Amino acid sequence: MSALWFLWGVARTPRGAVSAVVLVLVIVCALFAPWLAPYEYAIQNLPGANTPPNATHWMGTDEFGRDLMSRIIHGARTSLSVAITAIGISVVAGMTLGAMAGYFGGIFDRVVTAVVDLTWSFPEILIALLLIAIIGTGTESIMIAIAIAYLAQFTRLTRAQVMALRSETYIEATVNLGAGHAHVIFRHLLPNAITPVIVAGMLATGDAIILEATLGFFGLGAQPPTPSWGAMMSSGTAQIFIAPWIILFPGAAIALTVIAINLFGDALIDALDIRNRLREV
Amino acid sequence: MLLFTVKRLLLLIPVFLAISVVIFMLVHLVPGDPIDSILRVGATPSERAALVARYGLDQPILTQYVTWFGKMVQGDLGDAIILRRPVADLIAMNLPHSLALGSLALLFSTVVGITAGALAAIFRDTWFDRGVMTLILLGSTVPSFWLGLLMIMLFAVTLGWFPVSGARTASALVLPVLTIGLGGVALVARVTRVAMMDIARRDFVMMLHAKGVSRWRIELGSVLRHAMMPVVTILSLRIGWILGGAVAVEFVFARPGLGSLLITSLNQRDYPVVQGCLLMLAIAVMLGTLLGDILQAMMDPRIREGMK
Amino acid sequence: MKPFAMRLLAGALLSSTFLVSGFAAVAQDVTMVLPAREVGAPTYDPIRGTKLNVATTLIYDRMVLQDADQSYHGQLATEWSVTEDGMEWVFKLRPGVTFHDGEPFNAATIAWWVPKFAGTENAFMTEAIASVEIVDDLTVKFTMKNPDPNLLSNMATTFMGVPSPKAYDAMGDSFGVTGAVGTGPFKLESFTVGQETVLVRNDAYTSGSALSENKGPAHIARLTFREIADDSTAFLELKTGGVDMLLSVPADFRKTMQAEAGLTVVTMPGRELFYMPINTIVAPFDDIKVRQAAALAVNQPEILANLYGGIGAVADTFLTDALLEGKVKDELRISYDPDGAKALLDEAGWVAAADGTRSKDGTPMTVKLWTQNGTEFRRITEVIQAQLAAVGITAEITVLDPASINDEYKKKTEHQLAVRSYSYENADILDWFFSAERLGYPNVSMWTDAAAEELRIKAMTGSRTWDERVVNFTAYHEYVLTQFVFAPIYQPVQSYAFTTDALSVPEVIRSTRVQSQTFLDIMVK
Repeated sequence: MSALWFLWGVARTPRGAVSAVVLVLVIVCALFAPWLAPYEYAIQNLPGANTPPNATHWMGTDEFGRDLMSRIIHGARTSLSVAITAIGISVVAGMTLGAMAGYFGGIFDRVVTAVVDLTWSFPEILIALLLIAIIGTGTESIMIAIAIAYLAQFTRLTRAQVMALRSETYIEATVNLGAGHAHVIFRHLLPNAITPVIVAGMLATGDAIILEATLGFFGLGAQPPTPSWGAMMSSGTAQIFIAPWIILFPGAAIALTVIAINLFGDALIDALDIRNRLREV
Repeated sequence: MLLFTVKRLLLLIPVFLAISVVIFMLVHLVPGDPIDSILRVGATPSERAALVARYGLDQPILTQYVTWFGKMVQGDLGDAIILRRPVADLIAMNLPHSLALGSLALLFSTVVGITAGALAAIFRDTWFDRGVMTLILLGSTVPSFWLGLLMIMLFAVTLGWFPVSGARTASALVLPVLTIGLGGVALVARVTRVAMMDIARRDFVMMLHAKGVSRWRIELGSVLRHAMMPVVTILSLRIGWILGGAVAVEFVFARPGLGSLLITSLNQRDYPVVQGCLLMLAIAVMLGTLLGDILQAMMDPRIREGMK
Repeated sequence: MKPFAMRLLAGALLSSTFLVSGFAAVAQDVTMVLPAREVGAPTYDPIRGTKLNVATTLIYDRMVLQDADQSYHGQLATEWSVTEDGMEWVFKLRPGVTFHDGEPFNAATIAWWVPKFAGTENAFMTEAIASVEIVDDLTVKFTMKNPDPNLLSNMATTFMGVPSPKAYDAMGDSFGVTGAVGTGPFKLESFTVGQETVLVRNDAYTSGSALSENKGPAHIARLTFREIADDSTAFLELKTGGVDMLLSVPADFRKTMQAEAGLTVVTMPGRELFYMPINTIVAPFDDIKVRQAAALAVNQPEILANLYGGIGAVADTFLTDALLEGKVKDELRISYDPDGAKALLDEAGWVAAADGTRSKDGTPMTVKLWTQNGTEFRRITEVIQAQLAAVGITAEITVLDPASINDEYKKKTEHQLAVRSYSYENADILDWFFSAERLGYPNVSMWTDAAAEELRIKAMTGSRTWDERVVNFTAYHEYVLTQFVFAPIYQPVQSYAFTTDALSVPEVIRSTRVQSQTFLDIMVK
């Protein structure tokens, strides 16, 4: 309950309020898309293709005559679920790896650190494209690719937190009392290291939405007719002179969502006063 | 200082070896046999065997690696299978374009990012701070391919200031540099701003204020200088990012470069080219890290001591 | 690292000269954008290359050229004759022709050239030729293994450009990559794969065919071909004057360009055909009724009218309208018939549920529909997905990269339906895509049928004259249509666009696509 109360506090700052409204809107769209969307997202009406925004189609129609607004609402579901799932996997895996590296140290730590430092310096888009070439295209592949692309970031961050905590007296005391490694890691280290990782994860979700859109622009990711903001923009570029709204609205949806995530993340960082702990990323 | 540099360089050797193994193996994980793509339709098994032998794919994997590594250190990156020319030639054709784009984008994001970040920190919590940071946030939250298209529409089509695409004139660099650079500006500005605000709270800054040193002198002379450490770290770690992260931008602006070469060859399963590109990017990343370490050591003697 | 460092330096110098030379554009410089489907051609080696772009026809001359009306006109060959039984061809060669490297072109060149095709992917071009005999310096005689009325058609393709034997043998594998030597109206100056090719005029050229007003040299002094993968970027380059001509205009941009002052957009009959191959060995399409139903579900008129604004034509056979072999019996044409499709599915035991989806013995009718990345393919595929759904077939789309999609077909296991297109102007494309000898790819339909093989072999090797060949191929084509191994979709038009102020392009294009014969006549204003 206290966490919710805290979020409510953040949402009452000016920055927090604006971004929270946008985020809640996007999340509601994603959760209740089938009920909120005015039309079926896959129903084509070819004679009514490329209609500009009007009273019946508030955002106009795309090259198949499908209602753009319905597709954007459903697209929120694709974009958010891909980004959140991918980052979720990444956070869990990164925390496990980072905690183990930071806790056990030694050769394991050195190997993990070397690999993580190297991949961290490679652009996520390249890592994702490389992985997609190996595991194939499709929504699941995109999720795995994004998860691995961001793995380094969370591993690094968790490791730094755990390293700092490990030397604290109470942790040493627990170890000396004969507590098991798992007990120390899961009961003492991770709970204390989790806040910055969660916030970093939230910020990374914004980047992941852009990454998913970029992959969609290259024609990878969600397969038609499943709407994805990136894929919508990709097919929209060909229509840019005939029907600019096809590329305008999904672009705006991405920008708004990502800005909201960033602003809310910033507000959280300030409220939690964890900027120093996030310095590593 | 020289000793420090040499030590750091020596430390890179095992890292380079590890990277070379990873790159070599990674490429072999990609499904699909490149021989199948180049074998003519209706080829006999002996034609296939001849091709396999020609590319050395019939050797044990360790032999393949040793041969590859041996040639690689001599600058021979092998022959492209689909593009039918030495990989080194392909890289030589593309790398200068990547370097030009990458270094200018890096320069742009450094100069503009530090300026904007510093000003925002100095005028912290004013409308100026919020305005600059919001603008920068906007620039970094728009997907780069979309930003590139918007730039083309505005500066190349409507205003006619720059060419739409290609790499034939120096002016063709402007829009891609801006597109990539804006993402970097956001990062650098945020790091600069936060670092400066952080340093401004330190005791020695308080003392300078108490001594009556002028505010601008403190901010620009002491605070900014001390705030450069994290900025340098971030920038040095992002060199590879800027070189390779231009994939979408290179595509929209129809430019040559390592990123686009890597994507094309990845799609065509042209193993040797993929290996060559990844290797170049890895080298750039390592050099960037090295440069960052050296710069940091120059700025902070404690790091030099730590190496001993 | 030394050789590599030097190459790198050379690359840097090269790119800095680009920067300088870019500013020094002179009047007779022309820049064009290659057709989208030719982007990424890795080589200018006509003998071994499988993907060649139009610049190849400017570097190399061919023996004969084909007019838009399918008639043949000599270029390196001035006249030719064939015996009654089709077993001997005699070609007289154009005198006084030299290669860009100064080597003479003569009968010895042809005797060297024809056997070079053996063992390459283009071997079928010369497969019927048993031997080449030098009659005199400018006369060659081909003795055939079997009559091949298609010989002239092959000779008119881009693959049959004649390279300089000396340069070809000397350069080995790098021929066509680092250099290319032919007798054509332009010489290769530089080639950056995937980016651009710069050609300079061959000032000594006089071999223009009857299809060009200008016999040589060309009016354009320096010709740059750029490769731009993104359609909107290419269009914007033309609009802003960055390039003078687009050799292909995507359907989406045609209207916008026509409205643009200062641009001329021309359309000409297409050579391309979109179709949906059906894998005949994977259930449910091993049942011919289900194949027929899928083919009848494709609403070609809807695609023509709504995706292409009525420009182009519906496809109802496997061949384009320009080919005589495409004139099949009307009842064999495959046309949209949703009720027929539903009835066939009912007959085959696939029962429709209340929501329209079908199933048989508890198995839902869900099939894979592959397509390649690219706006046009994705768009047609999404419409076909909806059209199949309308008769109760649920199709799941997979978008694959064009460079790797053929490798996936070669695995011969997974694919069911796909949206593909080919661009070719000869009925032997039927042999390429449906021969039982090439299962997986190119025979994506995985079709083996004894009766079909008999008809195919007769068409390929059993015709003495062109007319006989037409009859045989029509018979083979008709049989293919009865088996529903594919569904025809659409025939696009070709179009090109240029800046009216910069160029004057002949109004009549005397070839089946814009090639060397037209380039000779293009004038710079």
